[in-house]
Amino acid sequence: MKALMSLGALIGVAGLLLLGGMTFDIVPSTTIRLVEGYMPMQLLFEVSCYVMGFAGLSYILNAMGMGIPRFWQGIGFWVFFLLYLKYRVYPPIPFSVRAMYGTVGLVAVFMWISANEDDWKKFKQPIMNVLDAQTGVNKLLRYAYLVLLPILIGGFSFNAMMPKSEEPIELRTVHPAPPASTKVHGKTYTLQTSQNPYRVNPEGKYDQEYSNSNIVEQGMGRLMKPNANPWDENSQGYLKYVREGGEIFFQNCHFCHGDNLNGRGLHAFAFNPIPANFTDPGTIAQLQETFIFWRVAKGGIGLPNEGFPWASVMPPWEQHLTVDEIWKVILFEYWHTGYYPRTWD
Amino acid sequence: MMERTTQKAGFLTAAAFGVLLGTGFGSMVASAEDMPEGFKKGELAPPPSAEMIEAGKRVYFTKCVWCHGVDGAGDGPGADRLWPRPRNFNQGTFKIRHTASGELPLFDAKKPVDGQNDLFETVTHGLPGSAMPPWEGILTEEQRLQVLSFVTTELVKDRQFTDKETETQTVLNLGQLQPKEATEESIKRGAELVVEKKCVECHGMEGRGDGNAFNLKDDWGFSIQPADWRKCWNFRGSRQDPYNVRNIFRTFSTGVNGTPMPSFADNTSVDERWDIANFVNSLCERDTLGKPLPIDPLTDKPKINFVIPSDPVEGEIPTDLENEAWQKAPKRYVAMGGQITHKPRNFVNRIDDIWVRSLYNDQHIVYLVEWDDRTKSVAEGKLPWAPTEVNIDVKEQDPKTGEEGSIAAHQNNYTVYNDAIAIQTAVKWKDLPAPIKPRYLFGTNEQFPVDIVKWEADGSLHAFLGTGWDKDFQQRYDYEENMKVLKAEWKNGRWYVMIQRPVGNKEDQDYDEDTFFEVGQYIPTIFFAWDGHNGDAGRKMAVSAFYYTFMNPPVPQETYIYPVVIAVGVVLLEGWVLTRRANKKKGKTL
Repeated sequence: MKALMSLGALIGVAGLLLLGGMTFDIVPSTTIRLVEGYMPMQLLFEVSCYVMGFAGLSYILNAMGMGIPRFWQGIGFWVFFLLYLKYRVYPPIPFSVRAMYGTVGLVAVFMWISANEDDWKKFKQPIMNVLDAQTGVNKLLRYAYLVLLPILIGGFSFNAMMPKSEEPIELRTVHPAPPASTKVHGKTYTLQTSQNPYRVNPEGKYDQEYSNSNIVEQGMGRLMKPNANPWDENSQGYLKYVREGGEIFFQNCHFCHGDNLNGRGLHAFAFNPIPANFTDPGTIAQLQETFIFWRVAKGGIGLPNEGFPWASVMPPWEQHLTVDEIWKVILFEYWHTGYYPRTWD
Repeated sequence: MMERTTQKAGFLTAAAFGVLLGTGFGSMVASAEDMPEGFKKGELAPPPSAEMIEAGKRVYFTKCVWCHGVDGAGDGPGADRLWPRPRNFNQGTFKIRHTASGELPLFDAKKPVDGQNDLFETVTHGLPGSAMPPWEGILTEEQRLQVLSFVTTELVKDRQFTDKETETQTVLNLGQLQPKEATEESIKRGAELVVEKKCVECHGMEGRGDGNAFNLKDDWGFSIQPADWRKCWNFRGSRQDPYNVRNIFRTFSTGVNGTPMPSFADNTSVDERWDIANFVNSLCERDTLGKPLPIDPLTDKPKINFVIPSDPVEGEIPTDLENEAWQKAPKRYVAMGGQITHKPRNFVNRIDDIWVRSLYNDQHIVYLVEWDDRTKSVAEGKLPWAPTEVNIDVKEQDPKTGEEGSIAAHQNNYTVYNDAIAIQTAVKWKDLPAPIKPRYLFGTNEQFPVDIVKWEADGSLHAFLGTGWDKDFQQRYDYEENMKVLKAEWKNGRWYVMIQRPVGNKEDQDYDEDTFFEVGQYIPTIFFAWDGHNGDAGRKMAVSAFYYTFMNPPVPQETYIYPVVIAVGVVLLEGWVLTRRANKKKGKTL
């Protein structure tokens, strides 16, 4: 038990030092990177490490007779949690969300310190002691609080009332409802019944199974299947069209959507909303191929109001590409990310 | 006689041999002495295994082939619309290395160690400022080593990474060298050295990459431009750590193969190189306190704040940059991307950021816009179109791969137009239900028009009303009289343009055409920039996302009153709690 707790304490202290160092730029802030796609898991893991660390620390301090009162443990952990949310989580989350997590954290801390009558009493004791002010120290504290609290709260409200110029928050619907049909290059496509004409086998017949068999299951670092190289000169059908789609993608789309299709292209940093990340399971993996066809053909201008058409730089690709080229690009995007398009049934 | 001749011949042979030996020995000594300061001899790495090469081929043909091409000649389908171009691997010429100029970079398929594996680090961290992304988190460490095994053995064709006869490794011993402290003295010496070593001839007097080197070409004949030292986040070898002086020291010591950037290892001491690196590092843009700008780890560019604050001034707005009001005004980074929505699209965008400050008084608002542009471009003679024309005849080139007539080959031969900047604000933004705005590109329609103020390098300043991306502007002559260019100067690779316009909230002004600038409100604002030497004109330009002009209000009275009231309230509350507690203790109940 003791060894386990010591290990916990060690992890906790090392983690704290590292976090502090990274916050104050003593060690480079990229020492422990947050890897895109793993961020939530990484953060949960880190927080659980800290919980373990704090438990170990508290155990050891208790064993050494220098235990920190429950009262300060609870407040200390909550403050740590708030600071962690503010300084560690990247990209930064808005204050409203942090407030929500902070409240959840506070409830958890309360549940912990009020788990039994004894603990709860211990938690309340310091507050009561100050209120009663039986000893000299507590008397001093009581006066200090009397003066400090109004100053602090007054200061906070002053700070809150000072005019600030923070960017207004605008909530945008990323996947608005598609229309029933769309007209591209003079031809009407009913979104429910249209199919990607290039999902064909080497004989040229529409074949969902064949194209699926050439997609590698999703997961980071997706690669092509062995012997399914679209750059092979002999490739026919689906694979040939994947290559053609890729060529169009890399001549037109990757400047924003990125070489990895993760929305981090050469120009992406300048735009807001940022370009879609196709490797995120929340984008093309959730959608039908025809939805993508509609979005690609009509671009930002074609979005309904909830999609902020005025801010999107997504071109209406029907101005630049033929219908066939659009379908091929879509084919490539699914092949490269390893996702299957959602179907209508 | 015969004997003597033989003897002589023997003597001569011996002498010749001796000379040969001597020179051989001498040259050996010389080469040890010739080793530039800070370098050490390196070993060639063993070749990667056949399995790794085979596995790497799959990685290459999924992820890399699109830019670098089937044969690794840097001619994939994406190549022609990229600037800088993707690397051609065939000759084994690599830019970012720890090895001496002309040598192959460090690569060992078994050793993914920082500082000892150049190619691995490049793939891991990408090349900021180019299209090469960081592959960390996309490809596993093993996959990155595999793909490099494939590239170095199969695609590098003219050289061999393992050929001991032709290849040497002279490695910059960066791990052992401690950076010199960036004291004022060191920076000052660096400033003198960049003049002495002629760095400024290419990189420009203020380091903005605007030297006399506009027509530089790389080894493949493609246009290439010297680095802008003020934008360290675009340094190709910055490895996602742009303010680290070691990166500059390395580039300066090893040179950049394939480009006109030589290695300075032979004619500078290590100490001098640290001075230069400190100086170059000191030039990179910093915040008002002199601290490095926060860099967004996902884009490798400075973090963006979408609010452009405008501070109030009493009386006239100063035109002098050194004036305290301008010095104190927060300077905002505005990221610029190429306009790629409508033809002619601007894939090869040369203006990737501008810097904006603003001040206002009761009559006017002034924007001070600064941006780096290596060339001052002013169109010779009259342009063949009216300033209001939007859909002008600038042809969009088709991407060609590796042929004559490619975009990259034309890069420096465009017709020169005016450099220009425009500020677009929404008209009637107060009537728009938030968050609706006019379209970022010249407005939506008659109902949601935009107010565009455009300055061009020929000195003209125009006001337009924009009613859609494909509709010509309406010129507003009545309004132009009220605007003024307070400053327009191109100096050492940077434009400084100060534009003053009325705030437009007077009763007699036409609210349907003017943007109404109101204090304490978020006014949707967009910036456009044109680089005349890039053939930018009409819709071929750089664009920003939506920003907000925010005129900081003077602090209202309530801000001082309410907190006091609240504090007094807290005191009363405290008194109540204490009394209650005391009563409870005494057993009294109210």
